[in-house]
Amino acid sequence: MGINKNNNYCDEKIFSDFFINQSKLLNNYIFYKCGNSNLASDIVQDAFLKFWSNCKKVIPGKAKSFLYTIANNLFLNEYSKSKVVLTFKNTQTKDYTNESPEFLLEEKEFGVKLQHAISNLSEAQRVAFLMNRIDGKKYKEIAEILEISVKAVEKRIHNALLNLRSEIENI
Amino acid sequence: MKDMKENNFLAKWLANEISETELKKHLSEDEVRTYKKIISHSNQLEAPHFNAEEALKKLNLKNAGTKVRRVNFTKFMYRVAAIIIVVVSSYYFIGNHTKNYKTSLAQKITFDLPDKSTVNLNADSEVKYKTRNWKKNRNLSLKGEAYFKVAKGSKFTVKTALGNVTVLGTQFNVVARNNYFEVVCYEGLVSATYKNNIIKIPAGSSFKVINSKTIFEKTITASGPSWIQNHSSFKSMPYWYVVNELERQYNITVEFNNTLSNNLFTGNFTHNNLRNALKAITIPFNLNYTFVTNNKVRLN
Repeated sequence: MGINKNNNYCDEKIFSDFFINQSKLLNNYIFYKCGNSNLASDIVQDAFLKFWSNCKKVIPGKAKSFLYTIANNLFLNEYSKSKVVLTFKNTQTKDYTNESPEFLLEEKEFGVKLQHAISNLSEAQRVAFLMNRIDGKKYKEIAEILEISVKAVEKRIHNALLNLRSEIENI
Repeated sequence: MKDMKENNFLAKWLANEISETELKKHLSEDEVRTYKKIISHSNQLEAPHFNAEEALKKLNLKNAGTKVRRVNFTKFMYRVAAIIIVVVSSYYFIGNHTKNYKTSLAQKITFDLPDKSTVNLNADSEVKYKTRNWKKNRNLSLKGEAYFKVAKGSKFTVKTALGNVTVLGTQFNVVARNNYFEVVCYEGLVSATYKNNIIKIPAGSSFKVINSKTIFEKTITASGPSWIQNHSSFKSMPYWYVVNELERQYNITVEFNNTLSNNLFTGNFTHNNLRNALKAITIPFNLNYTFVTNNKVRLN
């Protein structure tokens, strides 16, 4: 009985491909949790190293969830929670050139309020919301990664939107 | 009809499972408009830059070979010697890993040091330190502004271009920007060196150097700096510093008449609303503000 070549993560080529495919999204995921891009890249490195040293234990088809489990545990155990202040780069939409400075100012202010409001969401709501908006993941995909039901994902996104709106309008 | 609360209708609308017309049956026009605005703005957000290929190269995998080979003894001894040399010299490189934290304009971060001391870093600032021997040798360098909560332990030193700050276990804020050096101690005792003088700063006091004048005050009653709570407050500070801090927090440029540079300003401004912040710094001096572009303001 031979080892299924596609699932042998102790093979450096297979591991490297796995790294290239998964690392950016994992980095995003940790960033959404804590808002710290340095911390996120450190955890990604450590998670993949731990995955590599446990490569024999990987069950075929469960590599990604094993990776996320390792990353979540590292996040909880080794790093204490610091205050979350996420800042994102904005991709500028180019249709704005004919708008008045007043409008541009309001848009910029709204953007700042939104980023603060996102930081103040609960971690669960924030992660689900950003995985949908930035990573473009559908609710079913998010449910698989977070190991919750689709309905739970919908509830988090629904509440995230409610909270974002109420925080933005109360400032 | 289903109870709307259990329906998670906003999530369904976001996933295009229900139409906007359907949504408008349950929400006001204003609410719908705001939700659409939230979505269009969040669509423009980008996650942090991450280059997978580069990161993979940095990942040092130990090559676990599983083949068994017959080994020539002399070759084996050479290999052992080579490994010892590599291990000994890499101790100096790996142990000397330098950590670097940097904030851009309009950004603040918080991070831990290896001994669980915490650092809040204000906008446009940078902290660097070596991780080796951290517990015995707690030295870091700062450009800009940071608030430190230092765990009890060996001597902790913050080096800046303007002066050094040393503590044992305490909470304090340091500003080192251009011509301004300030240390405020909130708890414990801080010792600062400035131009070969040593100044002791106990809890509830501050030491500033502005425009080459040194000022020592004993009237700090706050428990921490205001910028952590997202507003900046100033007491008799030169106007140029106040305007610079507003530029840093909002990532904009502000032009104003140079004759005002050294006028003293007492007051504060929020980090969450640019209009209110501009009003806060212009009204006390009877100025108006105009937007030259969406990132540039002129005061007159």
